Amino acid sequence: MIYLSFIICDQSFLIRKGLAAVISKIPSTKILHSIDSEDEAYNILKNTHADFIILNPDIFYKQKIEDTLKNVCKTRTIGLISNPDKDISNFPFAEIIYYNDTQSTILKKINHLIEKKQSTLKKQKKQEEISSREASIVKYIALGYTNKEIADKLFISSHTVVTHRKNITRKLGIKTAPGLTIYAIINNIINIEDTKDVKF
Amino acid sequence: MIITKDNKMADVIHMNYSTLSVLNRFGIELGFGDKSVEDVCQKHEVDINFFLEIINTFINEDYFPKKHLQSFSIALINDYLKKTHDYYHQVKVPAIEQLMDQMAHNCYTQRNNINLLTNFFNDYKQELLNHTQREDKIVFPYTLSIEKAFNAPQIDKETVKLMEEYSIDIFESEHDNIEEKLFDLKNIIIKYLPQPKNFQLCNKLLDELFTLEKDLNDHARIEDKVLVPKIRAMEGVIRKKFSEK
Repeated sequence: MIYLSFIICDQSFLIRKGLAAVISKIPSTKILHSIDSEDEAYNILKNTHADFIILNPDIFYKQKIEDTLKNVCKTRTIGLISNPDKDISNFPFAEIIYYNDTQSTILKKINHLIEKKQSTLKKQKKQEEISSREASIVKYIALGYTNKEIADKLFISSHTVVTHRKNITRKLGIKTAPGLTIYAIINNIINIEDTKDVKF
Repeated sequence: MIITKDNKMADVIHMNYSTLSVLNRFGIELGFGDKSVEDVCQKHEVDINFFLEIINTFINEDYFPKKHLQSFSIALINDYLKKTHDYYHQVKVPAIEQLMDQMAHNCYTQRNNINLLTNFFNDYKQELLNHTQREDKIVFPYTLSIEKAFNAPQIDKETVKLMEEYSIDIFESEHDNIEEKLFDLKNIIIKYLPQPKNFQLCNKLLDELFTLEKDLNDHARIEDKVLVPKIRAMEGVIRKKFSEK
């Protein structure tokens, strides 16, 4: 299942909990971390990939956080601002949530970002179907060929076959060779008659 | 929620009805009125602490106070594990076979594909049988003799010889992952099999496969986290005692 993940950084426990409760109203969202200190934030932002970071710049020294955010450019950053008069022009925020925003305003802002993100995710999703190369490897696995035999047939190295198999397992969610045989028959990659000699 | 000896046995089932299969293995019969877990266990001569650890492990996957469990006798653990084996072969596997059979009879369009799944499951059944038989015939007797030698005042040569031929490390390295095929079967039905005509049967089948998988995982957890560490510790003590002699 695909979730959109969030990290929330703010000093106040109540604000973090409250914001998490609002976000949880959006389906398929998940709060990965809730952070209250600068040190923890550096550690987690460096090592964790979340789809969105919601962050109150008040807990950071400005110079360092910009560097950290540059390193996690995959993540969209949302500002969480207590004082609307604060100068935040230096921060690369994709969106800004104010402390006195209503629930519907916050949901609208986040939903807008999620829609953008999902349209890029859909493009990636197409790649989750197996490629024609992978389908031909499924065919040989289904027919009972070993990795070495498949490598010889397709003029590739055994190592490449192993990599393909890993990708096939990840994409299809099928781990065993007999399982792949059934997949191949259901999807007409091979005929059932071809498998007479294959042991399940 | 964690079950304690003072909870009512009836509430345990209300909370999570899949515990019924665990009660079954302990030989506990229904109709216990408002009796507490402790009273019911006493009536059926079940070790209350062992029961509590097993039932809590079953309900809550993260619950695992292995120190408690490790204080129980090997015979008690083996007996429980053996009963889960019987449950797989006498209850779960026949139920799944029956459902697949019904599905094949009820659906003309998918009959060939369902027959494929049946063959696949037959193969899995054999794998599961080999797995449990190896445990019943080799592993459990071995663990019992280790426990016996551990408690004996003197270490005899036979035990040491036995340990040279087999050890719990061998069991652990051979302890293959029997959930893989089950995982594939579930995914094929969920993702790839065109919906058979009778989807009620299909749902029932998936339900059986999911509960079997969960039960196998609980079973493997008890083996890996309780039986193996306990036997390994005993083997260590026996070796040390013998070398000092």
